[in-house]
Amino acid sequence: MTDSERLERGYRRLVALYPRAFRRDSEEEIVAVLMATAREGQRRVDLAESADLIRGALRMHRGPRLPRALLRAVRLTYAGAVAELGVLITLLVTLGGLTSATIRSYPDFSVAQWHAVLLAHLTAVAAGAPVLLALWVWIACANARGNHAGRLAFRVVHVILTLGVVAVTYAGVPVYGMASAIAGGVMIQIQLAALALIFYPSKTPLPYRPHRQLGPAQR
Amino acid sequence: MQETTFLILTALADGSQHGYGIIAQVSEISGGRVRLRAGTLYAALDRLRADKLIGVDGEEIVDGRLRRYYRLTPAGTRLLAAEAARMHANAAAALTRLNLAGGIA
Repeated sequence: MTDSERLERGYRRLVALYPRAFRRDSEEEIVAVLMATAREGQRRVDLAESADLIRGALRMHRGPRLPRALLRAVRLTYAGAVAELGVLITLLVTLGGLTSATIRSYPDFSVAQWHAVLLAHLTAVAAGAPVLLALWVWIACANARGNHAGRLAFRVVHVILTLGVVAVTYAGVPVYGMASAIAGGVMIQIQLAALALIFYPSKTPLPYRPHRQLGPAQR
Repeated sequence: MQETTFLILTALADGSQHGYGIIAQVSEISGGRVRLRAGTLYAALDRLRADKLIGVDGEEIVDGRLRRYYRLTPAGTRLLAAEAARMHANAAAALTRLNLAGGIA
């Protein structure tokens, strides 16, 4: 392997730290510039070049600068994920209250039926909470990257969750304890605030990135 | 506007440039004071493209290496002109006051 090939391999290893979309679009170009700016007879990537490329990679992973309202919405969405975790923990901590509430709600049920109702609720929560938690984090990340899908997903999830709360309220299934209801209410409030901020009109153009889809334009 | 951003936009003011050309132009414009590295350059180019201040003017292969050319968009030209006018006005004000104070010959 020649010195030049060894140097190029070193550059490519550092460029591998960049986001995939950037590498797909610009890897050959940045490697060409790195090779063109290398010193005569340079064999290895020097410390300053490594630091610059690592800093550049971190900056790209952080994504574009966001308008202030959207930045707040992203932070609130992360807070929503924490609130979701809070709902799950509260529910587990107040399991005794949930059992009593189930018994109060269905006084005519047998013990086996109470257990069945309780199990159905707990299974729904155990299966649904991690999915919702992951969804919150994904929505926050997608919005932080300026992804249109993140905004759309936020709207869809919000509508589904709101309809779920309304349906449960109207169906009269008051089996959850007060603490769980408060935790759920907090989560919905955070979600509403984040939703309002995401669609808050901003003077700053949203930094969504259509240029990734551009094909190569031959000169 | 950061100085790096200003210098990159200035490097593109009189025509399209590829990455290495921008680095050379920035060094020339700044009198050798600013030496852009590739990581800094491409982070800035990525942001400027996302903000639609610059665009891709074309690509070519030279000695087996990809060269992509960048140009200012109308929005980039307007922003650079406004920033240059602002800096010019500030510099003129500073020089006037220094002259009044007898600070420079």
